[in-house]
Amino acid sequence: MRTRPKETSRSRSRGAKAIDPLLSSTRLLHYAASALLEGTFVFWCMIAWPAFARTPAAHALRERLDRRLFALAWVSLLVAIVSGAGWLVIVASNMSGMPLASALQGSVLGIVLTQTHFGIDWIVRAGLTVAIAICLALQARTRSHAVGWVGLLAASAFVASLAWAGHGAATEDVPFDALHAPADILHLLAAGAWLGALLPLVIFLVQACRDMSSQAVAVARIATLRFSVLGLSAVGTLIVTGVVNTWFLAGSVPALLGTLYGQLLLLKIALFAAMIGVAGINQRRLLPHLADSATDDSLCLQISRRVFGNATIEACLGVFVLAIVGIIGILPPGLHTEPRWPLPFRFSLSEGFVRAYPTSFYASTQPYAAPSIARGAPLYAQNCVVCHGAGGRGDGPLAGKLSVRPANLTEPHLFAHKVGEMFWWIGHGTDNGVMPGFADKLSPDQRWDVINFVLARAAGDLTQHTGSQISTAAAVPLPDFAFEQNGAQNTLSQTLKNGPALVVLFAGHAPRARLEQLAKLQPRLAAAGLHVIAVALHPSTEKNPLIVDVSQDVRETLELFDSPADGGETELMLDRGANIRARWMASGAGGLADPSTLLSDAARVKSIPVAAANHAGHGG
Amino acid sequence: MTMRTITAFFLLVAMVFAPAAVRAHAFLDHSDPAVGSTVPSAPATMHIWFTQELEPAFSWIQVTDKSGASVSDGTSGVDPDNKQEMDIKLKSLPAGTYTVKWHALSVDTHTTQGDFTFQVKGS
Repeated sequence: MRTRPKETSRSRSRGAKAIDPLLSSTRLLHYAASALLEGTFVFWCMIAWPAFARTPAAHALRERLDRRLFALAWVSLLVAIVSGAGWLVIVASNMSGMPLASALQGSVLGIVLTQTHFGIDWIVRAGLTVAIAICLALQARTRSHAVGWVGLLAASAFVASLAWAGHGAATEDVPFDALHAPADILHLLAAGAWLGALLPLVIFLVQACRDMSSQAVAVARIATLRFSVLGLSAVGTLIVTGVVNTWFLAGSVPALLGTLYGQLLLLKIALFAAMIGVAGINQRRLLPHLADSATDDSLCLQISRRVFGNATIEACLGVFVLAIVGIIGILPPGLHTEPRWPLPFRFSLSEGFVRAYPTSFYASTQPYAAPSIARGAPLYAQNCVVCHGAGGRGDGPLAGKLSVRPANLTEPHLFAHKVGEMFWWIGHGTDNGVMPGFADKLSPDQRWDVINFVLARAAGDLTQHTGSQISTAAAVPLPDFAFEQNGAQNTLSQTLKNGPALVVLFAGHAPRARLEQLAKLQPRLAAAGLHVIAVALHPSTEKNPLIVDVSQDVRETLELFDSPADGGETELMLDRGANIRARWMASGAGGLADPSTLLSDAARVKSIPVAAANHAGHGG
Repeated sequence: MTMRTITAFFLLVAMVFAPAAVRAHAFLDHSDPAVGSTVPSAPATMHIWFTQELEPAFSWIQVTDKSGASVSDGTSGVDPDNKQEMDIKLKSLPAGTYTVKWHALSVDTHTTQGDFTFQVKGS
């Protein structure tokens, strides 16, 4: 293997990717127990009590039901406490990197409880379990509805506070970020009310069917009708909030189809759809009869049994949904794992359906920046020049002997390809079999370096045709680079966050007069939001506040954007996405831009909408 | 009900085609000195910005020289004014290559880690 310079300057980052079966099953238990707690109180307050209020005679049934619901609530509370404690210990172990036993001892638990968002959330939730226990004890003694409603409030808060135990806790600079937490909370509450009340409904219907008295049947009828209203509103809430959460967490079709997170989310949606289907049978086929069956006890009983059967199926599907919730919350959502595209085609807005590859939607692990491009240049020279040529025009020494002419890697069309597709071709070869794959010669990081180099060189070539008029059409991007200015470290990408930039490139003698003119103009340019960065492509001793200090890899990269015939100086106007919108040369027809042109162009460039930057560079 | 469900699912499908808003673990956003860069003069502090807020209790940075010896001056900390930024003071660094290791615990309880190098140019 050849030596690779600067190999270690790559950025690597990784998150835990394996699914932890202990953590996901603990989460499943905790979610299920929390939902049952909320659902039991919901069932009492919103279904059972109103139903019994209209048929006060069904006293014995009510007593039997209450006994079972209290047992269910106490068991759920116990499971919630034990699984919640288990979850805390596993999280403490993961956070501290210590084994489970060590996380239990010592100060780790204390630090997690008092110094992390998760821990503080858990303290609040521990307080809520105490409140729920008090409510259950009081309610069992007094049978007070008011206490039941307080219990419902506490149980709902217990479920809602799960929103801070996972992805909902984090805030990011995305549009409508404020919507995410409320959507998450409503989703949890609706799921808890629906799924959690299913088991109380089943218990209730079993008791009612056993009773077989006409009062029991009447109560069952009212309860079932009330439950269907609850179910409908919960399902509506789940769909709306589910759409919002999917948008926040999965984000794109490749992420849905090509990542484990997305696939599990689709499976969850499918199971949810099946639950709605079963609920729909209740709604459309059974409930209309139930409404008519007020006077026919045997029909009512028969229907109640079928509702009971369907509710059991829904509850089972609900357990699978919660199992997915248990797993999905510990996976990195959406695009943070590379989506492996499962289809041989994809849809492109400009070209319709086009050929696609498993890596089509991969984002580069190496940022489009000078260090990567400098690593890619020698790799290109070693592996690609024989066919594609030193200049990338498809005219290498072997080109004439091939049945298909090697691709010209300097055409504008290059930028129409997804980087993930170039990654596939370099790794596995092209479909026509002429270009071989280099997966065994170049590591994935090296393939990205080659792609960055090829893109930068093509961008440099295409820039030679960029004129002095601001172009609002497609423009090619200047790579990111680090520099030091007035003793402070900076990068192009950070500078562009504040506004457009004028990059001044000069080789040989510094264009002293021009730099002094720009330096004098700088306060006005800065006020207009334009930053000037002057780079000497050969080490220079010239002193000017606009000249930044850069390393050799940055000089080599920016040389791709320089023209030997530029009369000693090239100036590039960049929009906030680093796209080159205009170019002036000292030797050009109109010469360099005068101050008023620079100011008006800066204002125009500022108004060009820039697509969100590809957030590449931290995968791998 | 059925029609409403179908409509809702079409809405869902339409929504997922909307622009991606990705939320996940805390990953490195950018750093000063920049990842892989060569800096002309030695930085006094290493700054790393992340894509999410961090838990100070379980997040850290280590900076070491070629021999693996720590070159930090004190311990790293999350910026109290910007929970997405972590800093560590550095000793006066001679020319050479330095390795930065970071370990970040996001407020969503997920841990990420990574490393990169930067070089200080000889004067």
